[in-house]
Amino acid sequence: MSYQIKPPLKLHSLAFALILFSSVSSCGIPADGDSVGELRGTVMEVPILKPDLVLTDMEGRLYDLRAETDGYLSLVFFGYTNCPDVCPVHMATLAGVFDELAPEVRDAMKVIFVSTDPERDTPDRLRQWLGAYHPSFLGLRGEMATINSALAEMKLPGVAVVPGQHGSGPNIGHPSAVLAFGRDGLARVRYPFGARRADWVNDLPLLLSESP
Amino acid sequence: MNWWCFAQPGTAWTWQWQPLIGVWLAIVLLVWVYRRVLSRTDDSYESSRLRKSRRVAFALAIVLLWASLDWPLGPLGASYLASVHMVQFLVVGIAAPALLLLALPTAAYEPLRRYPRLIKALSDLTHPVSAFFIFNIVMTVTHWPGVVDLLMPTQMGSFVLDIAWMLGGLIFWWPLIVPVPERPGFHPLGKIAYLALNAFLIRPPFAMMIFSESPIYAIYELAPPPARDALNDQQLAGAVMKIGSAWIMFAAVLVIFRHWMLAESDRPESA
Repeated sequence: MSYQIKPPLKLHSLAFALILFSSVSSCGIPADGDSVGELRGTVMEVPILKPDLVLTDMEGRLYDLRAETDGYLSLVFFGYTNCPDVCPVHMATLAGVFDELAPEVRDAMKVIFVSTDPERDTPDRLRQWLGAYHPSFLGLRGEMATINSALAEMKLPGVAVVPGQHGSGPNIGHPSAVLAFGRDGLARVRYPFGARRADWVNDLPLLLSESP
Repeated sequence: MNWWCFAQPGTAWTWQWQPLIGVWLAIVLLVWVYRRVLSRTDDSYESSRLRKSRRVAFALAIVLLWASLDWPLGPLGASYLASVHMVQFLVVGIAAPALLLLALPTAAYEPLRRYPRLIKALSDLTHPVSAFFIFNIVMTVTHWPGVVDLLMPTQMGSFVLDIAWMLGGLIFWWPLIVPVPERPGFHPLGKIAYLALNAFLIRPPFAMMIFSESPIYAIYELAPPPARDALNDQQLAGAVMKIGSAWIMFAAVLVIFRHWMLAESDRPESA
């Protein structure tokens, strides 16, 4: 019996078409398939004014949030360094974003991490933890009452301390979104957990151009 | 209790052991089927060394499958590290199917000949050209970011991906290993070319993993520690996928080449 290299034509035509399609369609699309040129963060109906907040930075100096970030696009996040999930993901994502941005965009921005666990988040701990993500990230800490007051001012839920299990430290409930304050001091867009690097890379230049 | 590992975005990794009942059942089922097939097959015509090799191949397949799908590699690969996910792919989609097919004695495939329709279907499905396309389509689709992000967060979706890998791998290796249907025209050189083409082919997901400036899979990008830099992990995953599968193909090429040479040396010289 002779062996014929004659495959079923229809199957192979379909297969070839599929591979061709997948090869072509893999070129030049955004990672998550979203549109380019439109904001991908959640646009808020009512902008949030940057809180009047004076805290302590990682060197122990006073840090006036409004004054120090005036004229910058400021990404402000409330979290804690022992956070097992949301905080490390946001910070790792933003660190990757910083590597990808043009220097002029990067220089016009500040990433501010406000600790919701000031007891455990000592200046050293903040410096070490944030430095592992990106040397430019800034950590701030202060009294819990001050933090909660700032959150209330921004109409965000306050910090909730949940006792840990099996001898572990407490878990801290905190807002999971990063707020993007424009150069004018107003946050019009927020980035909940789930915002991806491609979203940030798309949005940050837009946010800078929208608030000259 | 979970029955299959799946992605849980935003959930912190824990080293606390978790049972995956579906994985255990699948392993037990495979062992049961293998023992049943062996008990119904007369493999006494094969040398004891070959029979032993087949059992070793099966044991290796089972251990690899169990290790890659059960805790901790299962959940790590499903939810946290794309590089571990690619190690699972190498096991479930490439190495284990080859070992499982090799584990059965030739006589175990003979009963298939009793079913002409099945032979016809197998003839089409496992034709080298068909197998090449089916394998590559399955591997492309099951690594496509939209598909992975859609299916991996559910146990059923993750299970479907693993089954698709396994079936794709079985179809890929079938024309090289299984004697039914016979393919006398599939010369060893053709087999080597078949393997080499698969080793060197750049599939779209591999290109995306290596060359994309951003992480392509949401589940790994949004995974808490131990995941860290999702882009580095993704590039490592691409390297594991490409280099790992190329080495397996290369090993298979060596085996085929050796068998070919032995067959040639055994052939009586023509007068």
